[in-house]
Amino acid sequence: MTMEFATLHSILTLILFVSFVAFVIWAYSKKRKPDFDEAANLVFDDEPDPKKQHSKRESEHE
Amino acid sequence: MSQTKPLNVEYNYSVVRLFAITTVLWGIVGMVVGVLLAAQLYWPALNFDTPWLTYSRLRPLHTNAVIFAFGTSALFATCYYVVQRTCQVRLFAEKLAMFTFWGWQTVIIAAVITLPMGLSQSKEYAELEWPIDILIAVVWISFAIVFFGTLAKRKTSHIYVANWFYGGFIITVAALHIVNSMVIPVHLGKSYSIYAGAVDAMVQWWYGHNAVGFLLTAGFLGMMYYFVPKQSGRPVYSYRLSIVHFWALIALYIWAGPHHLHYTALPDWTQSLGMVMSVILFVPSWGGMINGVMTLSGAWHKLKTDPILRFLIVSLSFYGMSTFEGPMMAIKSVNALSHYTDWTIGHVHSGALGWVAMISIGAMYHLIPAVYNKDGMYSLKLINTHFWLHTIGVVLYIVAMWISGITQGMMWRAVNTDGTLTYSFVQSLEASMPFYLMRFIGGVFVVAGMLIMAYNVYKTVSSKHTAAQPVAAAA
Repeated sequence: MTMEFATLHSILTLILFVSFVAFVIWAYSKKRKPDFDEAANLVFDDEPDPKKQHSKRESEHE
Repeated sequence: MSQTKPLNVEYNYSVVRLFAITTVLWGIVGMVVGVLLAAQLYWPALNFDTPWLTYSRLRPLHTNAVIFAFGTSALFATCYYVVQRTCQVRLFAEKLAMFTFWGWQTVIIAAVITLPMGLSQSKEYAELEWPIDILIAVVWISFAIVFFGTLAKRKTSHIYVANWFYGGFIITVAALHIVNSMVIPVHLGKSYSIYAGAVDAMVQWWYGHNAVGFLLTAGFLGMMYYFVPKQSGRPVYSYRLSIVHFWALIALYIWAGPHHLHYTALPDWTQSLGMVMSVILFVPSWGGMINGVMTLSGAWHKLKTDPILRFLIVSLSFYGMSTFEGPMMAIKSVNALSHYTDWTIGHVHSGALGWVAMISIGAMYHLIPAVYNKDGMYSLKLINTHFWLHTIGVVLYIVAMWISGITQGMMWRAVNTDGTLTYSFVQSLEASMPFYLMRFIGGVFVVAGMLIMAYNVYKTVSSKHTAAQPVAAAA
């Protein structure tokens, strides 16, 4: 059985859309929040000079 | 969550310094050529009847200089700086990194020589002939090796979001450049594209728009995700949004190219696809813009006192403006009015001077004192002056082009009742002339700001004073 290109592309679009929604749910799950807070603070851990080291900030953002 | 143990790492700043200084240098060169071109459009005699100084040859020199010499040097500098600091590790393959600097400068010098000579592949933003294209590919692959090698030996478990944007930009630009530069060489200075007709046009604009999307957007978003939090002293507004932003942006940008080819021989369905994808692109673009601006929420007062932060945040508002304008212009019926007019030039410059240049300038003002071990820039006041000169220049430029562009579009489409054109081309040109003068003045403001920056950078770098040394070894 041959599959039309249009059918194939429709299925592909659907798969991409579903995986995008799944990905957004993953990114916004409560479980990920502590990890993401730590990742967001990575930029402040880069001073080799301790005097200039910013203290880590707890995210006040969402 | 409060550990302040010092990092036992020496970053490699020598290549960062070189790229930072050339960013300022090539910024001035590229923008001066731009101002000369703007002047030629108002005073055509300024080409002095010299082939090397004609608009047709200097225009690609201007675009190459600002995109690949100024913008890309800023990307190299910040990328090498950010990847080391967010991975807490010294650069991988340092000699190769140094090669990317000298290789890239060779590319720029070759462009400065060949473009005024009229050697060109005639592809917008890809004018350089094949021997230079090969060098670009070699330098770019070396860039990728240095960058991903540094990521691979990182000390942190997580790869910070800025590096995702830099990585996406490096990989995609390599693919775009290699695919679009496929040619059959005739001799050293002449080649023919292996693509023909509408396919050639589509490949060119797949390249062209993704040069905008990945070089001029993703790369600079990498810059934004490091320097905005760093300069404001606050973590990014929403890290989870930044991840969604990354994947949505790179998944959509790649499809937007056909909007450059509305109402051409390109198949209609491809044009419509390009239009739809461009309109959807508004969503991740604004997601990223809001994420950057909101990083300042609760610390807005810092904008009053910190002109560097102002550069970074105002760049984001220009980004928001041009990523609203872009999807709108990609709609076929709007494009019918805007295409081939000065509106396009205005749109490009609100992105290039507003977004790309301002975020780069802000990043340089943050980075240069850091890599030269100074406490800060020589003069904060001069940064403030630069900020206002630049902002006024950009606003003059884009407002002039909006008025001129819409006027042109309206005049070109006006028809009499018998179907003949109401206006000749020269009449529309005459209507544009005052705005060409206004654009030239805007450009002069921008260049004046860059010269002040050069002076400020010179004073910073040459000052004997160094930042307070760590006292760690004392005890």
